[in-house]
Amino acid sequence: MSELPNLAPSKPSEPPNPSAKAMLNKEKRVILNPMAPMTFLLRNAGKTIPLALVIVMAVMLIAGIIALIDSIPLSIKTIYSYSKVSLGLSPRGDPSETPKLLSIIKKEAPVPIDRVLVCRASGSQVRSIVGEWPFLVLGLSQPDITYFLDRQAVTHLEGHYPSPGKPEILVSKPVATNLHLHIGSPLLGPDKEYSYSPLVVKVVGIADTNKWLMVDSIEYQRLYYYPPADFAMVFAKNPVDEEKLDTWATKRFLGSNAQVFTYDDIEKQTEDMFKTLFLLLDLVIGMLTLVITLMMGLLINIYQSQRLVEFGLLQAVGYTKKKLVLRSLFENVLIVALGWVLGLLASYILLVILDALLMAPQAYALNVIDTKALEYTIPVPITVLFTACFTVFWRFRNFDPVAVVERRLV
Amino acid sequence: MPVLLAASKATLKYLDHDGEVFACKDIELEIDEGEFLGILGPSGSGKSSLLYILSGLKTPTSGAVSVDSDNLSDLSDEKRSQLRLSSFGFVFQQPYLLGYLSALENVLISDRSGPEEAINLLDRLEMKEKMHRLPHELSGGERQRVCVARALQGKPRVIFADEPTASLDHKNGLAVVELLNENRGNGALVMVTHDPSMLKKADRIVKIEDGQLV
Repeated sequence: MSELPNLAPSKPSEPPNPSAKAMLNKEKRVILNPMAPMTFLLRNAGKTIPLALVIVMAVMLIAGIIALIDSIPLSIKTIYSYSKVSLGLSPRGDPSETPKLLSIIKKEAPVPIDRVLVCRASGSQVRSIVGEWPFLVLGLSQPDITYFLDRQAVTHLEGHYPSPGKPEILVSKPVATNLHLHIGSPLLGPDKEYSYSPLVVKVVGIADTNKWLMVDSIEYQRLYYYPPADFAMVFAKNPVDEEKLDTWATKRFLGSNAQVFTYDDIEKQTEDMFKTLFLLLDLVIGMLTLVITLMMGLLINIYQSQRLVEFGLLQAVGYTKKKLVLRSLFENVLIVALGWVLGLLASYILLVILDALLMAPQAYALNVIDTKALEYTIPVPITVLFTACFTVFWRFRNFDPVAVVERRLV
Repeated sequence: MPVLLAASKATLKYLDHDGEVFACKDIELEIDEGEFLGILGPSGSGKSSLLYILSGLKTPTSGAVSVDSDNLSDLSDEKRSQLRLSSFGFVFQQPYLLGYLSALENVLISDRSGPEEAINLLDRLEMKEKMHRLPHELSGGERQRVCVARALQGKPRVIFADEPTASLDHKNGLAVVELLNENRGNGALVMVTHDPSMLKKADRIVKIEDGQLV
């Protein structure tokens, strides 16, 4: 060996310059299993992170769009959620029918009834995510207001109940937030087309609950509103029986002189209303997924091409095609899973920010953990993974390691 | 010495624009355990092709290559790969290393033994100081030393070296051959080269011309 040139470096003493110092720091590098999929991903973060980022962006985009669109029906359902705990029953045409309807309810209801509130209703509006939305002002007697607020889980009341016959109204916190109301703010009035009242009606109470409520006195409504029809709000003794009561009433009064209002019905109508929108959305998301998949396919193809020498060398020294394909696929699974999870996390953060800045100040409903949005993102990792598998199998189909070691492929 | 590797009428032919071309023709060759066999031939003589069929990287179109009397052609692709990984070491013309792995991790690719032996080998090849460096931080000669360590790791039964000095100057080339020969232990060394001076320590030299041993 003495006459042979020394290929080894001279032993380092003091690092001569900063780059040499940096190099010496690398002497402490952790030894990783060279064939573990994570090794490639960790040591090639510059290549793997952009791939994962494409998926992150796609997932974030899809989840964000779906959650925001989904907030429209959700907002509407939330606005009417007060009707979840009661059944509404109104006579059609003839106001004198109401006592008959109450009698039927009392005699034939399939579940024990806790209370039937006789009330009046007039119209107002709230702001929804899709613009102005109609909302009921319920006219109730003083004892019924107490019962109604109790069933709507009101925990605290700022101000007082609307006095009988006076132009006063009680609203819940979400309504106050939505319409920027305070105690003393006018809500209804003669100059308001869709929140009409002959007198200016001011807010006298704000109820602390997550339900949307507008309540004034039944005496005020009887004095100033037309038509002079009372309707009934029926409360089951046990709130879990409400659905059974709704189903029964819908069948019982079908074709009769009464109109039934149930939360289920509102929910169904809302879903029907947005069916076409979601169908179009399916199409857009489908196209988006296709574009992302094609883009990812091309990226993965480039990514695999850059690794031909690696695959050739490993196959030449004895790694089976199967092991290399599995390793490559596992790497892709890790990238796609990482991208998907980070995408969901990013969309969650985005939605939380949107909720705080845009939705909550208007009391709009936004589900930041929307399962529908999650479902819509699932095709992205699946199709990308499918494309990755196809690309990997295609690449390895007729791969000849000798072509690499003979430098015919590189 | 018992015969480790044998080629019997091994032929490798392929089709190109001019018709059938014989890369190797009717090769009859036996390699003993621990033997240093030099395969000498000019460029295009078929010496690399011979190395590929002896090592199972290519399957002869006719004839047979056997290891311990087992015909390589009878083995599945997976079994042949396993044999290469467990029993053969390779040094190629170019010092192929995986760019994202350190010198030490590149040696560990051979998967025949643990890091202790790899560090020992790198120490013997005077590369211990740089074992944590990435390939781009090493010179050409240093990279080829790492390739030699990878081929020697786990004491393979045969080391196949395909012009291992091709990318090096003469002195560095000789040093690499010396390192291979000194550190191969009981393993056989089959080295292909066009340079006879690289085979001074070979136990036996066979010459190949136009795909045939002469």
